[in-house]
Amino acid sequence: MRIGIDLGSRKVKFALVRNEKVARLESFDTLSFYKRFGRMDGDDLTFDLAGTGFFSASELAAAAIVATGYGRNTLNLKGVRIVSEIRAHVAGALFQTGLRDFTLLDMGGQDTKVALVRNGRLQDFVMNDKCAASSGRYLENMAAILEVDLSELSSHWDEPVRLDATCGIFGESELIGQILRGHPVARLCAGVNQTLVKRVIPMLKRFPSDTIVLTGGVALDRALVKLLEIEGFSVIVPDSPQHNGAIGCAVMG
Amino acid sequence: MNRTGFTTTIPLEILLAAERIPVDLNNLFITGGRSLELIEAAEAQGFPRNICGWIKGIYGAVIEGGILELVAVTEGDCSNTRALMEVLSLHGITTIPFAYPHDRNPRALREEIERMMAHFAVGWDEVNRASDSLESVRRKIAEIDRLTWDDGLVSGAENHYFQVASSDMNGSTKNFEAEVDGFLAEIAGRTPYRDSIRLAYVGVPPIIDDLYPFLESHGARVVFNETQRQFSMPYGIPDLVERYRAYTYPYDIFYRLADIKQELKKRQVNGVIHYVQSFCFRQIEDMVVRQQLSLPILTLEGDKPGPLDARTKIRIESFLELLGEQQ
Repeated sequence: MRIGIDLGSRKVKFALVRNEKVARLESFDTLSFYKRFGRMDGDDLTFDLAGTGFFSASELAAAAIVATGYGRNTLNLKGVRIVSEIRAHVAGALFQTGLRDFTLLDMGGQDTKVALVRNGRLQDFVMNDKCAASSGRYLENMAAILEVDLSELSSHWDEPVRLDATCGIFGESELIGQILRGHPVARLCAGVNQTLVKRVIPMLKRFPSDTIVLTGGVALDRALVKLLEIEGFSVIVPDSPQHNGAIGCAVMG
Repeated sequence: MNRTGFTTTIPLEILLAAERIPVDLNNLFITGGRSLELIEAAEAQGFPRNICGWIKGIYGAVIEGGILELVAVTEGDCSNTRALMEVLSLHGITTIPFAYPHDRNPRALREEIERMMAHFAVGWDEVNRASDSLESVRRKIAEIDRLTWDDGLVSGAENHYFQVASSDMNGSTKNFEAEVDGFLAEIAGRTPYRDSIRLAYVGVPPIIDDLYPFLESHGARVVFNETQRQFSMPYGIPDLVERYRAYTYPYDIFYRLADIKQELKKRQVNGVIHYVQSFCFRQIEDMVVRQQLSLPILTLEGDKPGPLDARTKIRIESFLELLGEQQ
């Protein structure tokens, strides 16, 4: 029995893997998770896993626990092994898809990671740096400006309105300008989704594969998948894209 | 003696003939202990954030270091140097342009060298004497390089240091040669490295300060520092013009690649790290490097001075894992 924890910028995700099968998945808003269950012990971050109620005392006692994510460098939990995010995500994608050769595209709250996997091993990867436009947080902001929920935003890919700002904050005012021009919301949603594709294509082309495995919360954006397919990519979204890192941690345990 | 700065390797022989103290401004910037502050100060002065850190660092090093005269390489290196030269001239600093002809034309290079000689009021006799005086230390640095890849006695960082420092001989050929002699004596009794992975470092010297020790802590050692080796003029060519035609760095990427390919083979390299500086035109050349070299390549990008960041470390670890498996 193994537990994986992915401390993301927007959500903390948990996975319990038993007999090589995902037995349970949970998630929690990052800020409220740290406020309710976290505390600093000197310079180390620690939290009360039992208090979450996600796992029984016997599960916590018996399971190997592996964690990754933003908090990992300051995390100090007795008996918890820390692994890098990229390795956790690759392990999760290998486990969830059964594929051995692919390009992993993981789009989370802040980070976009693109990894080349060959023969089941990580060969190289790139990550967004200095800027988190085209992340999950960007999608949330744009949905708020358009006054739609993420499900609505992710259901439009036809005739995207062109959006060119390279900054996620300037992008908001550019979007407002396009609203004033009278474009329908559906086309504006498609435009927002198209900006994600434009941002990730150079990274994907650097590591060409027959198959893209798309993970992270942004993988729930159906329009993104459609737009990537229109660009000629063959995209696979595993069953639990948002929990991929946590599952990867668990299988590494 | 007056100190004369330069923005990248130029015929050092001319400065020595003119009895100037040579100062490689890159070395002055990066070893001064205040490299990050110099960049921030240059940005506060108006240098854009999306311009190479070396340009901003050189600007800061010139102003803070009190350099009053410099040779700026305007062709064969980054074109930002031209604007840097213009900005520095506003501070009353004398700037002497030096252009490597893109086609390596010997006549054009000779004219450029003679123009620089005329500025410093020296003739061929003095320059050739200075040239002879450098030959002994250059031969010893070439030996340090051989001891790196052939005998395994020198670390990647040491190889980097001695070759990169040879661009200006740390300001004093005599003192630097004594340092080189001391080092050669010290390593004679060393046990050879037993690293399993042999790496090449291709590209401009890193702005990152802990790359080599990080690699060595993972069982990999750099046995070829491409541009640093070029700075040390290891060719043994007596003619000055031909020497600076053999120098690959300021010419096109294919000329550089011919040298790189030959050395990769000779030194039995397992993998290549191609370092590129953020915002540098050489980032574009990465496409050519990747296409032309058959060994596994990891491209690293650096922007500001400091230690390796966490994600670059993970990328290096993955790359070394891959190389380890291939052996």
